[in-house]
Amino acid sequence: MPPLAGWTLWITGFVGKAPALDHVMHLLVNDFFIPLCICLIMLALWLGHSDRLKRDRIQITVMYASVSIGISALVVKLINAFTNPWPRPFLVDDSVIRESARRAAETIFYFPHDPTFPSNGATIAFAAATGVWLGNRTAGAIIYVLATLWAVARFYAGIHFFVDIAGGAVIGILTALFISKIFMPRIEPLPTWVMKLCRLLYLA
Amino acid sequence: MALDYFILVFISSLGVYQIAAIHAKLDGLCFFRHPVVQYIFGILAIIGALGWFFTSKDRNIHTTVEGSQQLGLFLASIVASYLFTAILASIMQARVSSKGGSPREGKQYDMGIETLKKTTLFGGIMSSLRRERKDKV
Repeated sequence: MPPLAGWTLWITGFVGKAPALDHVMHLLVNDFFIPLCICLIMLALWLGHSDRLKRDRIQITVMYASVSIGISALVVKLINAFTNPWPRPFLVDDSVIRESARRAAETIFYFPHDPTFPSNGATIAFAAATGVWLGNRTAGAIIYVLATLWAVARFYAGIHFFVDIAGGAVIGILTALFISKIFMPRIEPLPTWVMKLCRLLYLA
Repeated sequence: MALDYFILVFISSLGVYQIAAIHAKLDGLCFFRHPVVQYIFGILAIIGALGWFFTSKDRNIHTTVEGSQQLGLFLASIVASYLFTAILASIMQARVSSKGGSPREGKQYDMGIETLKKTTLFGGIMSSLRRERKDKV
């Protein structure tokens, strides 16, 4: 069992008490809703600036954020390949936590069986938020809010421990900082060539 | 589920392109002449697609559309939607005006979608071809 496992018992205890909240969480926890909202915001940023130089800058930011999403997902895969420190909350030995999480997952989501640590959703959402935030504070803040909502919904649904979510967020943030600040500037002129190809194809 | 997700992304990104085109003044991507109509179309496309996707079935089920497949479908769908937008806007605008008569000043790999401020996708391609021909001569 991970540290702070008791928090899962506390948060899943709310499931079933407020049907309106359960409905909202049912939407927020979905595999498609928040990722799509984040991607649509990034798409709007990619195109939505009338000034050419500002648009070029924000497109670089979006490209770095997209690479950060891909690399952070790869980092999660690598971590999962070498370690699986604890099971999902609805599979743990402690029967009180297990039953509470099982009831929450059944009501709000489904029973995923891939490794729980780190949370894949939190990792990619926070990587996207950090990547975008480095180039556009407002859009970055909006994506941080969406990432937090997604992470909280997955915690509420009893499919992750708090440590899974926090670990995913930290991995996502650090990966995005590394990609945007260190890795991508070092591999120039490759990003510039990609941008030129996109411009040639009327995509950027 | 994969097809449903593709349609969701296709229609919602269509809405995003229409709204973004107003902000970026990319007339070559616009379906409508009035920005208000275009805004309404864009918002309805986004809300309509999300509404349809999440109310037609329970989407909180285990599916094969996750991770890399979700990313692949998303990328394919936004590119298809972009091409659809650019081609449809070219056809619609060709009926009302014939823009892009003269060759452009810069190279396309420098100009990018900036070209779509003054002309449509078809107009931009024709302009590029004319420029290439002129350079050869």
